[in-house]
Amino acid sequence: MTHKHLDDSELDALVLRALSSLPSLSPSRGFQDRVMAGVILPRPRAVALLQRAGAWVIQPRRAVVLATAYALCVLVTVALGGPWVAAHVGVLGGAASWVAGRVGAWLDAATLAAATWVVRSGVGESLRAVAGTGPRLWAEVAALSLGYAAGGYGLHVLLKAPRRTDVSVARSL
Amino acid sequence: MPTAKDLQALADREVVELAKAGREAAYRELLRRYERPVFSLIYRMVRDRALAEDLAQETFIKVLNALESYRPDYKFSSWIFKIANNAAIDQLRRHQLDTLSLDGAPHARTPDEVEATALQAADHGESPLEELESRETGSAIERAISRLRPEYRTAILLRHVEGRSYEEIAEVMDLPLGTVKTYIHRARLELRDYLADLRT
Repeated sequence: MTHKHLDDSELDALVLRALSSLPSLSPSRGFQDRVMAGVILPRPRAVALLQRAGAWVIQPRRAVVLATAYALCVLVTVALGGPWVAAHVGVLGGAASWVAGRVGAWLDAATLAAATWVVRSGVGESLRAVAGTGPRLWAEVAALSLGYAAGGYGLHVLLKAPRRTDVSVARSL
Repeated sequence: MPTAKDLQALADREVVELAKAGREAAYRELLRRYERPVFSLIYRMVRDRALAEDLAQETFIKVLNALESYRPDYKFSSWIFKIANNAAIDQLRRHQLDTLSLDGAPHARTPDEVEATALQAADHGESPLEELESRETGSAIERAISRLRPEYRTAILLRHVEGRSYEEIAEVMDLPLGTVKTYIHRARLELRDYLADLRT
């Protein structure tokens, strides 16, 4: 090279020029294909649905029959019931509001009867005596809370217990 | 469905979205865009063609198989350069390669190995004289780069060869912006000293 007697700024410029003129290097031929061979392409949704349907079809005949029967039931119900509901919307609306009114009135009457019975029979007084006041009340609340927490923990342990999730669909059917 | 030409006009983020939808052409477009920059960076870090190809391939497979986890608020180029740089740095830590050959890897013994590990530069359409001069300066600078610390090498290559911004280099290297600027400044000083030494 013949770059003698250059000052620092010229040397800087030379370094920058040399760096920016460095060639871009290419990997060997077939690089893209080698990479693509290791890439798992995500399946488009349509393909995934098709494959799921395919997987369902190869299930034992019993499962397919069951699913088909269920689908048919739903289809027939919707096909027959749909037009009838559409044709009787007014009648159905009136019937629904009549039922709602009756149920509401019955609930009101039941609540009133229960409250009257609690007051007249003396059950309310008995409950107040059992619950007590002051320290006794706090002890009862604490015992109840502990019981509730223990129940919750027990449920949690029960749900965490290993279940046979590895049993195949075919076998369980 | 966009053609290969349509894909070229899209931003990285859009191409990634198409790739996530399962379009193979989008994967190939990302590969086309980054195979040279990624390979060049890795090669100039490890200075062994076969090894650089393996690392670049590993980088692309890792990135393309993890597109689902790609966060669009992060630049795709930063992400891929970060993975490539980490792969190269890990390799350097494992093997401490520190020699350079533009004509083939240092371990190449047979002519076939030399040819297999030689550099393949892109054609810039230079005249024979220009090519000779640029090859002289180019090989000197390649040699000088190979003597830099790996961190300096990454910073200077990303800045002055790949033309990345300081902010992007900081993201790639997981370093503060000030540190990146210091690395690049020091790397340039070292390169300048090395080239000055060559002429005395």
